[in-house]
Amino acid sequence: MEKKQIESKLVTQSIAESELSIEALKKILVQMDDAEFVEIDISDIRKIHLVYIRTLIDQEKLNESIIKPLTSCSKPSIQDCIVNSSIIPIPTFIEAKKQLFSGSILLFDSSQNLWLAVPLKNPIGRAIESSETETILFGAKDSFSEQVEQNITLIRRRLPIHELKAEKFTVGSLSETSVVLMYIEGLTNPDFVSTVKEKISEINFDLFFDSSQVAAFLEEHQNSIFPQFQQTDRPDVVTYSLELGKITLLVDNTPFALVAPITFFHLFQSPEDYINRWVVASFLRIIRYVSFILSVTLIPFYVALTTHHYQMIPIQTLLVLVDSRSKLPFTPFWEAFIMLIFIEIIKEASLRMPTKTGQTLGVIGGIVIGQAAVEAGFASNVLIVMVGISTIASFLIPNYLMTKANSLIQLMLLIFSSLLGIIGIALGIIAILAHLNSLSSIKQPYFSPVSPFFRKDWIDLFIRGPLVKMMERPEHLKPLKLKRYKTRR
Amino acid sequence: MRLHKKIFKRLILLFMTFWLSGCAHFTKNNLIEEISPITFLSISKGDKGKLKISTILPPLSKEKKIVMSQEVSLLKEGVQKYNLNFYQEIKSGQMRMLVISEELGKDGIMSIINVLLTDPDISLRIYLVIVKGNFEEYLESQLDKDENFDYSFYRMLKHYEEKNQGELTVVNLHEFKNLLYTPYSDPFLPVFKIQEDGVSYEGTALFQDDKLVETISSLDDRIFQLINNDHYLEVLPIPKFEVVLGHVRSKIIVDIDSSYSTMTYTVNIDTRIEEYRGEKQLFDPKELENMKKNIETHLEKQTHELVKKMQELKVDPLQLGVQTKRPFSKPMEEKKWIEMFEKMDIKIKYIINIDSLTDANSKRQNL
Repeated sequence: MEKKQIESKLVTQSIAESELSIEALKKILVQMDDAEFVEIDISDIRKIHLVYIRTLIDQEKLNESIIKPLTSCSKPSIQDCIVNSSIIPIPTFIEAKKQLFSGSILLFDSSQNLWLAVPLKNPIGRAIESSETETILFGAKDSFSEQVEQNITLIRRRLPIHELKAEKFTVGSLSETSVVLMYIEGLTNPDFVSTVKEKISEINFDLFFDSSQVAAFLEEHQNSIFPQFQQTDRPDVVTYSLELGKITLLVDNTPFALVAPITFFHLFQSPEDYINRWVVASFLRIIRYVSFILSVTLIPFYVALTTHHYQMIPIQTLLVLVDSRSKLPFTPFWEAFIMLIFIEIIKEASLRMPTKTGQTLGVIGGIVIGQAAVEAGFASNVLIVMVGISTIASFLIPNYLMTKANSLIQLMLLIFSSLLGIIGIALGIIAILAHLNSLSSIKQPYFSPVSPFFRKDWIDLFIRGPLVKMMERPEHLKPLKLKRYKTRR
Repeated sequence: MRLHKKIFKRLILLFMTFWLSGCAHFTKNNLIEEISPITFLSISKGDKGKLKISTILPPLSKEKKIVMSQEVSLLKEGVQKYNLNFYQEIKSGQMRMLVISEELGKDGIMSIINVLLTDPDISLRIYLVIVKGNFEEYLESQLDKDENFDYSFYRMLKHYEEKNQGELTVVNLHEFKNLLYTPYSDPFLPVFKIQEDGVSYEGTALFQDDKLVETISSLDDRIFQLINNDHYLEVLPIPKFEVVLGHVRSKIIVDIDSSYSTMTYTVNIDTRIEEYRGEKQLFDPKELENMKKNIETHLEKQTHELVKKMQELKVDPLQLGVQTKRPFSKPMEEKKWIEMFEKMDIKIKYIINIDSLTDANSKRQNL
């Protein structure tokens, strides 16, 4: 084990010490079809070598801003000729390699024995489009794309202040993914920043292609079903979070930013909450909490009542239930379990299917699962209605990761309810609450401001209070500046 | 080792959760498709002092129904016998009504009430009803005609119980138990009569302790609703004066003298005339005043007769005995009160306030 480490150290040392030369570069770029070595003759005695990787650079710009100026320039120094782009001198081989693979063009002036790099990154990528995962009717439509620089632009436009810091880190031994940590200096609690920095420095993995993978390394509770980082592709959400005193991580090659610290209640907040009028927004937010509880407990309640507590069913409902259940082959638990699994299969399938076949899925799902299952005597009418309600209710939660966790909680409660009835559901809910209380997001309690209790933060918790009343930032985020307004002198 | 300790602690916690909540570690099989949650039980007198218990089975489903009757000496024995004779287990957690025959009521229903009270499955909100006539036979005759006779009957009782509709007496187990066991009060129950074409409301049965002693009906029952049960009547027809009073609300003031020999029972009534078919010109305030006086005297006489009847029967469903309670003194014994009540001179006084009719045709004076 130790031997291997020493060997790998030696190899890195030898590359680092190897002299920066065209030959050395040719050696490492061998069998790479897109690696280009170009010589430009400026005068008889003066040659400039261009080394670049074709697929990583903007070829049009190469002509415009490097080749044309160089060929028509009579000045002795390259720096004086290329005026449109930034020029970075390269001292070492390692640095040269890094620049090469991040989309720069290496220039070697043989007469002066000078190595320079001109960043000319290929701008290929998605344009700024509207978010598909967090759609809203009103409000800003732009969303993040896969290019981290562009994403920073979107945030900087919204927060044009020098306190907005963007620190860059590189993670992943193979992917060399840039992760940008953003926060507002003098507002965000420095503990959050240091915690995240420390954790990022500890990351030891080869490839990152999404921010959720980065989150997996930063989370303190790996085995929980609750996300401890909010993933969002909306710049307005990120800006609002930064303003509250949270930190944001932008990961290159993914449109999803990570926001932390979050609480359980953040999963129920939608950007539209702050666009709607406060009464309407509060109502909608309450509806969201109610529908979460409904989607998690409705079917377990059905199973508990029909298996254990027939006394609690209103007699009118019992008439319907007895009638619809009398010919079924399954007990309520198995009936509900099978239906829930079916719904999960349909949900998963509809995600993977292209839109055109999606219609077929809807028809088959609706007719087969809905009507035919009842007519064939596999499921009762009442259960179908409940499965429908709870499935639709589960979609009201704005956080997609939470929607996924929803089904698992539902299944757990279902098993509890079939074993112990309502006391089972109560025990299950106690277990969930205990678990939520034990969670933390970058070392901040996950269930605050309920526990630990912050009275003032309740104005933006279950309701969304009027903005003019929300004069202070949430206390549970421990911001350095609590007041959101300028103090008058 | 530490892990074991942790698991051990958690197990103890879990065990205590169940133990302290009083939950049994064994659960009953209550799958709704495998049980028959009966909605009512009808109890009448059987042969040789036995009880005859009947109900409709299977309840709540659309299958063909039968009336099942068992003659038993104990109530729970009946339920057990049902189980032996029917393919589904009988459960009493959805019981909504208990129909007691008049004959059984006269013998006393204390034991039945106690059985119901001690059964945790049976709700305290089940309605108690006295029936005159053979209820089992009636059920048999209804099976083909009315699929959910029991449910409709229950809905009727429920409708009149809520918001005091002022039509019939509705008493549930909890109220009956309270009246039965509270000093200075006697319970009462609604009475229904079986007729060929259906079940009709007859009146209110008055109980002396747990024994039915009298059934009051028609105007007496209306007055009983007005002064005790609901303090409200939707309509109060008085055929003698060809008038119908509507939206009758009453307020009672009871005054008892210090020697407990006379009691003044004042009934304040707010009402309006709903219908009138007589000859009098009621738009005339004088005529209206006369009519009011007549109604007052009539009601006073009727109420006096009703209270007299109660005094004779030694029953006190109006809970008049409560008036003898005084602060800082020992309450009177119930026996002593009943003796006193028997001899008491009870004066009834009605003060009726009729909302004035439109004055368009009134013959106003000084004009």
